[in-house]
Parts: sequence; structure tokens; C-alpha cells
Amino acid sequence: MAGVALPKPGSLLIPDWQQSAEGKEYLNSILRKKKRKHFGLLERPVLPPQLPADIANYKIVVCGKGGVGKTSLIAKLAGLEVPNAHHETTGIQTTCVHWPACPRGSERPVIFRLQFWDCGETALRKFDHILPACKEKGDAVLFVFSFTDRSSFEDVPALISRTLGDDEDLARVVIGTKLDQYMHTDVTEQDLRVFQRTWHLPVMRVRSVNGPRLCDGRSLDGRAGLADAAPVLNGLVELLWHRDQVAPWTLFSEVNWPGGGSTAPRLSPRLPHCAPATLRLYTGPHWEDIAWATITGHVEASPIRTGRGQQPLYSDRSLCIMTKTAI
Amino acid sequence: MEESAVYLLCLAASSGVPLYCRSKGSSKQLTFSVIGSLNGVHMFANNQDVLLTATCTGNTRVVWRAFHDSINLIVMSSESAASDHSLHKLLENVFGAMVLVIGLDELTNIKNVERLKKDLRACYKLIDSFLMENEKMGDLTQCVDCVIANDTAILQECLDDFTQAAESNFGCLIAGGKVVAATEKWWRLSSQEVMLLCWLVASLPPNSSRDYPVYLPQGSPTVPHRLLTFQLVPGVDVCVLCGPSPSLQKVENELVERFWKPVVDPLRACLRVQMRSFPASVPIHRGILSLLLVNRDLNKSLHTVQAHPAEDVQNPDLKLALAQRRLALRSFYTLAMSRYFTSDHVDGKNSLQFEEPFPNSFTHSAHQCYTVSSTHKCYGMKTEAHLLFLLFSADVPTFSMRAIANKTMQLFSKDFPF
Repeated sequence: MAGVALPKPGSLLIPDWQQSAEGKEYLNSILRKKKRKHFGLLERPVLPPQLPADIANYKIVVCGKGGVGKTSLIAKLAGLEVPNAHHETTGIQTTCVHWPACPRGSERPVIFRLQFWDCGETALRKFDHILPACKEKGDAVLFVFSFTDRSSFEDVPALISRTLGDDEDLARVVIGTKLDQYMHTDVTEQDLRVFQRTWHLPVMRVRSVNGPRLCDGRSLDGRAGLADAAPVLNGLVELLWHRDQVAPWTLFSEVNWPGGGSTAPRLSPRLPHCAPATLRLYTGPHWEDIAWATITGHVEASPIRTGRGQQPLYSDRSLCIMTKTAI
Repeated sequence: MEESAVYLLCLAASSGVPLYCRSKGSSKQLTFSVIGSLNGVHMFANNQDVLLTATCTGNTRVVWRAFHDSINLIVMSSESAASDHSLHKLLENVFGAMVLVIGLDELTNIKNVERLKKDLRACYKLIDSFLMENEKMGDLTQCVDCVIANDTAILQECLDDFTQAAESNFGCLIAGGKVVAATEKWWRLSSQEVMLLCWLVASLPPNSSRDYPVYLPQGSPTVPHRLLTFQLVPGVDVCVLCGPSPSLQKVENELVERFWKPVVDPLRACLRVQMRSFPASVPIHRGILSLLLVNRDLNKSLHTVQAHPAEDVQNPDLKLALAQRRLALRSFYTLAMSRYFTSDHVDGKNSLQFEEPFPNSFTHSAHQCYTVSSTHKCYGMKTEAHLLFLLFSADVPTFSMRAIANKTMQLFSKDFPF
């Protein structure tokens, strides 16, 4: 990914779209009674039928020195309580965050389903399976440092090379936490500018403290929490979207489906909506219709030239979706 | 000590260094000198070849317990319902929780106390849940709390298939911190392990999925297994215990929706039976306020303080009444278990007797017992397969309790088998 230039903020997704009348309606699907709505793995935001949307899944790995605030950062983005005492995360824990955004030149907003993978530093060192499990089919890595801990910032380049090999094609984002503790800031804006010039990586900032509460004094105010999280979420989804548009992919995704089964696997492929692309579909014999229908839904919404006309090819046990940007 | 406060202390036995202190109902920290004295008196007794187990003051009970000659736990409680029996259970659970999360090796072979202190923070949530618990009974019975859902049979089938597809024999479906269904092998884990795993999942912050290393205190205290959990809908998690494979990603992407999507409505319905723990269709005698049923074979329990679904939970008086029912039933359970139904199936490790058997001259053991007070009555019953404890309102005639208990036992062995 190093070769891909960073998108200019607002160049791919409509900035502040969530503030618009239309955007607010989509935002309502992730709120319930002024609180953030949380979704189990079997659930998706429910929208009224007149509001169409695609769901795009992304897996984001969160890395960083112990105690910089990885878990708190994720809690903040997800609208959960930011833990008040630190302890190291045991094993891996993942959290899904839904965030609607609208690509430029498209009628169809996209609900980004970002799944953050969080793991403690000790767990990483102690158990070999954790890092590969986190990186498996990952889309991006967030490298977290704390504004109050200079060594965590200086370690970022080493952290990147420890975590990702040169051949690993995951987007890289650097994010600084604990911006709220400005009295103890150890990292200056000048440092960040130098870092950005040297490494050509996007750098974000976040205050990982609980936002205001509702009048019951206990629950977090969902809207205020979303407003706090919006800059980071918008930055992230734009980057991921950009990556999908530009990256020269061949195999888009593959789903193994031993024995077929009566229900189709869930597919929410993130197809390059705006860019012309070719699309090829390989499916097993049992569920070709359903899979094809899902793909069709996406194809219609985007100017793909050859996707629908092409004959699907079958292999017995797996479904592959191939995309390639047009030259 | 303040009214209804509890302090829990953990120290390294060899050095006497305090590892942590957790408390409930008090903001005051224990001073180092108090901690030192509490540990010192235990150590002194130890040096004189005396095992100091418990003492009490006017309003406070203190219980000491050493585990593997490496970790000392001390609890002080001024709660009115506290008894040596319940405090011993608490300490067993707390040590079990420490083993579960960080493993026995780290606890018996302490190389770096500061490191251990840091690692132990990961258990705080689970340990606190034993101190704070106000709904479940598993901490006292060491039998996991369950619910009987409307569609248990379908969910059981899904769970069995899902677990198998995830290359494991150990699977469990948990709703609101109580077990809805578990695979046969899961029930063959030790009863404390089953309870601890369930409480662990309930104590963790809500995540979509987890890959959590656990050390089973009895089955595998030094080699970790992977506990995979998946939040199907908020409040309902499915857990699988497995070895090195499959990966979290694989199970989540390929199996979760395939097996569970078709039963999403029954899954949501599990949460609706929470307060009562079984469906409204189970007919319970009007006089019963609260119930605890223990399956002695599978070591699982069914508990409710609200036997009648019609009661209005929002009513603040009822909230208080529910808390009192819970306390009354816990006290009665403790009394019955430590005096009359002394367990004859102790699983080896916990067989150390810390309480005087009562009364020593009895040659037979009781099968039923009851108590009567001005505010309520209690009836306990022990059969081959079950233990049943009922709390009645005071206006139920004493002579009828036995018949009602028999009928209730019938209900849960035939019509709604538990």
C-alpha cells in the first residue's frame, strides 16, 4: 500500500454528510432512545425501505504499546463506557462499529461495519496464534501511541515493521490517544508534522474520555458520542474506501462452503462502486441464485461494465468474487 | 467495621506482600497495618502449627485461607447474611478466578511480584462480580445458574452442531449471564469451572467476539485453552472451548451466521425469561415467593426470586422485597447445606472440612427440612437427583409446605425436566 497516495479528506466521501437531513436519518439507525445502539453478530442496522444502503465490512487491527489506550479508543468509537482503570486486555477482543457515510457521486450511502480487533501486548508475546489471527483477512492496522508517552510515539516505526511484513497489504494508520491530557502532552504538533513528512502515513488524534451523559446520569449520550467519534470514523472509512478504489485487486473474496448447505453465506462485498471494474463470480451449485442476487444488487448500483454479462464459473466448494479495476 | 461492608485481601504467602484488595460497600481503604496484622496472626498461627481458619467480632466475620502455600486470601465481612460457609465459597471462587485468568504456574511460582500484581488486574472484574452479585446463586452453590428458555430443544441442537463444526466438544450458550444450553461435554467439566466460565463471560465488557485464554482450575490449570465467544445478539453469547484451531476469524465468518441466523428470534426470547429464569407457562404454587433448584448430577441450578411473572418490577417496594427474598433464600440454603444436607459428593479437592459437622452424634442424614419465621417460611428437600429450596410467604400453612414442595419437584422432573 505504500505506493498509494493518501486521499484528500472529503475527496471521496461527502464531508459532514451525517449532519445533512438525509445523513441524520441514516444516523438514526445506529441510535436508540438517544443512546448508541449495539448490534450482535447476527444483527445489522435496520433502515426504512425508502432508505437504501449497502453494508461494507472491514477488519481493523489495533496495535500499540501496553497502556496507550487501545481498548479505550475502541470503546470511545463504539459508544461504550471507556474503562476507568487500566488492565491489560487478555487474548483478543473484537468490537463492531457501524458508521454510515455517502460516497461522492453515488445515490446509495454505505454503512461501514468496522470490526476492531484488540489484543493486549502480553497476550501477543505469550501466544503465537494471536498476531496471525488478527492479521488474517485484515484491511487496516491502527498503530496507536499516547500523547502522554513519548516513547510510545517514537516506537511507532519499529512497531509497524514488527507487525507487518513488507509484502502485507494492509492500510496503515497512526493514531494518538489521550489528547485530553494536554497538560501532560509529550508529543508536539511539530513532531507529528515531521513524522507525517517522513513516513507518509495518516495521523489522527483522539480524546478517549467518556462524553456527556443523558439526563438519567448513567447512560452515555449517543449523539454526543458520535459527534466526538465522527472525525476519526470519517477519516478511517475514507481511507478504506480509497484503498478499495485504487488497490489493484485480483481476488476480491472467497468463501468456503463445505457441503453447500441450504442457506447462502452472507456476502456484503465491498465492490468498487464508482470505479469501473470487472467482476467474475465462481459459485458452488447449491446457492448460486442467492449469491448472484446479492451481487446483482451491487452491480446495479455501480457502473460496472462487464460484471452482469459474464457467465458465472463454478467450482464445487467455494465462491470467489474477483474484481479488477479497468485500465 | 461499617455496616454491610466486605473486604477481600490477597497476599503472597512467602513474602506477605499484598497483591490486591477489593472491597464492597465501603470507600475506606484498609491501612497497611491492618492488612499486616490480619496476615501476621495467620502466619503466627501457622508457625505454631495451628491452622487459623475463621473468627468473628460483634458484627464482622473474618475467614483466612491459604492456597497451594503460595497465595493467602483473607475476607472480612459485616454483611448480616455472611457465614463461614458462604465466605469459604467466596474464597474458593476468587482463587478459582485467579487460576482461570492467569494460570496456576504464575500463582504458585511467583518470580516477580510487581508483574503478578499487574497481571492480576485482569481478574478484578470477575472477582468483583462475586462480591457485588445480586441476582445469581452460582457463587454460593458453585452450580451454574441456568434458564429454561421456550425453545431450549432447538437451541440445544444448534449449539451441538455449531460446536462440532468449530472442531470442539465444549460449547455453551449464555443469555444474561445464565446458561441456556450446553453440550454434554461442557457439563462434564467440574462444576466450579462451568460456573467460573459463565461468570467470566458475564463480567467482561460487551465485545462482538473474543479469543480468551483460560486455564481450567481442575482440568488444565497450567495449560491454557482458548475460549471463543461470539455475541449473537446483545446479551446472548455463544462460547466454545478449543485448542489451537480453528481461528476466531474462521469461526466467526463461516459458522456463526450459518448456524445461528435461523434462530435469531428464539435467541432474543431467551432474554425475556431472565427475571423468572423459566417461562411464564410453568405453573408455580401461589405461595412460593422464591425458588432454588439444583441438579446434583449436572451441577446446574435454577433460581428465581420472582416466581410469579405478574409482579410489577418497577415498584420500588417490590425491588426491596426481591432483595430480601434473595437474602432469606441464601441464608436458608447455607443453613441447610452446612447443617442438614451435608454434601456426600464432595469432589476430592474441596473436601477439607472447615466447619464443625452438626450435630456430631447424628447417624442419619436429613432429606427434608424447614424453617418458620414471622416474615416467611422455608422448605428444603433433597432427592437422588435434585436439591430444592423454597421460600414461602408467611401465610402459607406450615403443614402444606411439604406437599407443595413435592409437587414442585414433580413439575421440574416430569413436565419441565431440569
